[in-house]
Amino acid sequence: MGAVRDYFGNIASALTTTAKGMSVTLHHFRNEPPITVQYPFERMNIPDRYRGLHILEQDKCIDCHLCAKACPVDCIEIEAIHHGRTLEWKKFTIDYKKCIFCEFCIPPCPVDCIHMTTEYELATDNVDDMTEDLLSWTGLRPEDQFAIEASEAKKAGKAAPTKAATAAPEGGGDDDDKAAKIAAIKARMAKKS
Amino acid sequence: METLIGVFEQQLGLEGVWALSAAYSVCIGSLLGFITVYAMFAIWMERKVAAHMQVRMGPMETGAWHGWAQSIADAVKLLFKEDIIPSQSNKVMFWIAPAVVFCGVFAGFIVIPFALGLQIADLNLGIFFLISIASIEVIGVIMAGWASNSKYSLFGAIREAAQVVSYEIPTATALLVPILVVGSFRLDDFNLWQEANGWLIFHSPWMMLAGLVFFISSLAGCKRAPFDLPEAESELVSGFHTEYSGMRFSFFFLEEYASMFVASAVMATLWFGGWTIPFVDMSTWTDPDSFGLSDVAVTSIGIVVLLAKTFFFIFVQMWLRWTLPRLRVDQVMTLGYKYLVPWGFVALVMTAIFKYYGWGWFPN
Repeated sequence: MGAVRDYFGNIASALTTTAKGMSVTLHHFRNEPPITVQYPFERMNIPDRYRGLHILEQDKCIDCHLCAKACPVDCIEIEAIHHGRTLEWKKFTIDYKKCIFCEFCIPPCPVDCIHMTTEYELATDNVDDMTEDLLSWTGLRPEDQFAIEASEAKKAGKAAPTKAATAAPEGGGDDDDKAAKIAAIKARMAKKS
Repeated sequence: METLIGVFEQQLGLEGVWALSAAYSVCIGSLLGFITVYAMFAIWMERKVAAHMQVRMGPMETGAWHGWAQSIADAVKLLFKEDIIPSQSNKVMFWIAPAVVFCGVFAGFIVIPFALGLQIADLNLGIFFLISIASIEVIGVIMAGWASNSKYSLFGAIREAAQVVSYEIPTATALLVPILVVGSFRLDDFNLWQEANGWLIFHSPWMMLAGLVFFISSLAGCKRAPFDLPEAESELVSGFHTEYSGMRFSFFFLEEYASMFVASAVMATLWFGGWTIPFVDMSTWTDPDSFGLSDVAVTSIGIVVLLAKTFFFIFVQMWLRWTLPRLRVDQVMTLGYKYLVPWGFVALVMTAIFKYYGWGWFPN
């Protein structure tokens, strides 16, 4: 009897399981909208804390190199010339061929100026494009020039020059007079107290 | 066909063999055009059905609306692809195998009645012709598998041979059941009988069983999932057409979708009333008293009705493909010989008894 029961049991289970499976696929076909998106035109929602390409708030950055030191694969390269507190930027590059998107560069930043975005498109046909420069400007902006000249003028005890007077940028600024510097610090301390 | 020959003889003044060949050319040309357009549509439909059953979108870009031109783009691509023939293959057989495969299915189309009187050959042994001619396809597949000189192709061809030869028994047995009730092998007789009496599927439970047996075994005959062992992508690369590319490959593809159409059209004609609409007598529509439609209009309605029913069964075939996993070789044989063959004979014998005593839900 076992074989007969198996035989009819097989038929019954084949029919019921097929019907069940077909109802599942029909439900998908009729009631469930596609969960995929037309990628280049639309994108899936990405979590805000996704670790994508970096972004730099350059005017906050103080060129402390802590992010570069934290990086386990040494993919960050920073070069800048200090004019007092004003920075003359040379480069701030991240080599995405090396970057492992570990986010170790974000927490050490003392001024919270480097962030990761949700952007993830890296594909390119040129290897050099994989190294991205995060700087929004290089060298000195007019206001940087103005700030440098203002501080120099202050040190020299002169009135601050107008912006128009600083149209032509001057190279250098490292030749600070030590005495003038100390005087300036002293003046500031006195002002504070 | 005869009508067409008459038209050519009388209207164009062609004689004898010229009228005959002209009529043949028109029939074959229109049928080829129909199969090509249908296959492109069916491939697009299959991709969309598959996608939506898997909660995807399928082709969306080619052509403006839902990727409707995807099949056309694919066909153009296949036409321009290089025709690669393996150097170790049997070249003659490799060349003609796709043609043989396609011919078997193409010949099946000529007996399908698309509407009243609209069939290329009105054979009085139509179903018998259909069963016999469908077997030619197997020869083509075996030729392709053998000529490719590849182990995957040969395995696919052997599986195809075993499967199709096994499943021809339940197919033929199940087809005998409606033949028994209607008493004719001519396909249009089934339409006329069902127009008068109602769909054959509702004749008796045994007719339903026969319909189910025919549908399952026609799936195996078309190499459709879950019986797609001859192709079996996960095991045999691509089965018997592994070594084919370009235009020859597209012939195998065309053949698969064409045989789906033939199987579905036979299912619709024999069990589901063909081009007739239930409870409607279409033969009165040409009367000026009722609708006063022209013959062409009634014929077009018949074509639309048959195509609707056929596409329903094609949809069910696609639906099953994306529901069921592929059977093992031994499971295919078990299903064929231990389940379908006995139940096909049960349906045949019980229908014979029902017919003898005049039982059934509508006696004939």
